[in-house]
Amino acid sequence: MNYIGGSWAALEATLRNFLRPVVTESRPSKPARPPESRSERYRASFALTTDEHAQGTCIGCKMCENICPSGVITVTAGPKIESKATGKKRGSAADFVLDLQGCIFCEMCVQVCPEDSIVMRRVQQAPTYSREGLVLTMERLYANEKALPATWGNGTVLREAQEPKRGEAPPAPAAEAAPKAAAPVAEATPKAAPDAPTGGTT
Amino acid sequence: MTLPHREADVTLPKPARKDPHVDLEKLDAAADLMAINMGPQHPSTHGVMRIKLWLDGEMIVKAVPYCGYLHRGVEKLCERLTVVQLTPIVDKHDYVSPMTNEQALNIAFERMLGLEVPRRARYMRTIIAEIQRIASHLLWLGTFTLDIGGTIGGGASLMMYTFREREAILDVFEMLTGARFHYNTHTVGGQRHDVPVGWPAAVKKMIDAVDAHMPEYEQQCYGNDVLVLRTKGVGVIDRELALELGLSGPNLRASGVDLDLRRDEPFSAYDEIKVNVAVATDGDVYARFDVRMREMHESIRIVRELIDSIPEGPICSQKPVKVPFAVKLPAGRQFYTAIETPRGELGTYVIGGGAEKGAAPYRLKFRPPSLHAMSALPYALVGHTVPDVVAILGSLDPILGEVDR
Repeated sequence: MNYIGGSWAALEATLRNFLRPVVTESRPSKPARPPESRSERYRASFALTTDEHAQGTCIGCKMCENICPSGVITVTAGPKIESKATGKKRGSAADFVLDLQGCIFCEMCVQVCPEDSIVMRRVQQAPTYSREGLVLTMERLYANEKALPATWGNGTVLREAQEPKRGEAPPAPAAEAAPKAAAPVAEATPKAAPDAPTGGTT
Repeated sequence: MTLPHREADVTLPKPARKDPHVDLEKLDAAADLMAINMGPQHPSTHGVMRIKLWLDGEMIVKAVPYCGYLHRGVEKLCERLTVVQLTPIVDKHDYVSPMTNEQALNIAFERMLGLEVPRRARYMRTIIAEIQRIASHLLWLGTFTLDIGGTIGGGASLMMYTFREREAILDVFEMLTGARFHYNTHTVGGQRHDVPVGWPAAVKKMIDAVDAHMPEYEQQCYGNDVLVLRTKGVGVIDRELALELGLSGPNLRASGVDLDLRRDEPFSAYDEIKVNVAVATDGDVYARFDVRMREMHESIRIVRELIDSIPEGPICSQKPVKVPFAVKLPAGRQFYTAIETPRGELGTYVIGGGAEKGAAPYRLKFRPPSLHAMSALPYALVGHTVPDVVAILGSLDPILGEVDR
């Protein structure tokens, strides 16, 4: 008899959903979801920013190239140029290539950028038929700045959020200090045998 | 008319459950066994794995699982990348619960270096881990019932509903981190993304929806005789065998061992809350199913308890990462630590002082719970039929990305 109860519950749920309006949409002619419905932190594509004088902000420091876990960013440093915004000499990028084929959208390049030059965009690149279509050249990255909607932040925002001194004084209750003292004890014996797991504060 | 039955005229040596590696030549002499491969591409193998089965009629006399089809060489890659670059890489190990992979890795580094994590970050980690546990168990529930089959519209439609909840959970994660899979939100010393405005409310809404649908799922599963008959008494792993094989998580607790690292070796904010551990004693497929269902209720309770009390303060105790060698591991130091993921004890074994001037680990070894769960298959499958393989495999819930790495 139990069988009927379970079947009836399943049938009821199936019928209820069967009578709902259709919610699927076709891709890629139409975006799966409008960008507004995405979270404002949604990481989907990249752009390079320009300043108010339409001058690229990238200084060619290669910090993003160094941090990238996938190694998909290639920066070629350009000559020293005069910044129109500040009037000072600064570096520039002769070329900047980001290969989306290997990108895992980890946001590390955005976090390390000292000039907030590379930022994320909330809409994916349009699907392409060729591999070249997935390589973001410098021209495409600068075009993305205007073409695609921006995410919430840039390098400064991300770094400020992680600043240890942010907000009130960091609370240090006794509960945190006690287990921490136990951690070095277990570590003191560096053996191949697994150390006893410590009750750390992490 | 009586059908000739194989068991009637062949006296098979009863396969010893303690030693699944029975001598095939001895068996072949008595009966002609049929060897079949289940997988590598079988819908119910949850990834890419192969089980070689030796059948006598319909009964399995020997089973050998083969893994390695998803091997990507990640542990070797971890020796080349630096500590701060590893977090987005380990997301892909247990691809059903990426958040707890990141958590395990960063907790290992933090404990090794003796770094403190701000209280706000620890609360966030706990909430994230529990939401991820719900998401992982929901995916397991959907695929498990799909494999089992069941009533009219029972199996497949339940999967659709659990994926609906999982989608809501992914939306919550997307709101926090901006990604659906490669979250990269944990970092050494805390979190990278602070709680956005409206996130606690969104989590509560999602949790309420999941909680409201749980009785529906339970009615469809517990109230379904087909599922109960196919799971009770099938694939029994007793307490001693479970401990011997190193099972962990729900698989171990279903065998009657009351062990949960959330309660026994608290990490993150688990030392500030009470975790009621679900334990069953039967050790069969039904017990593992039951433990996971009860764990989902417990996770819902924990999230509800914590989401309103996230303390104020910083989210990271370290300076934000700007260069690859921001965190260095002491050369020669060896360290092992483990946390409880949805699948069990995920251990990380680190040796410091590798490439990139010591910023990369010399060696990084993971102890995935799924690998140990797979080692139970030769013991649990013997004596059952081929359809039971699907049920037993589904109940152990191995994720092959984690097994092969």
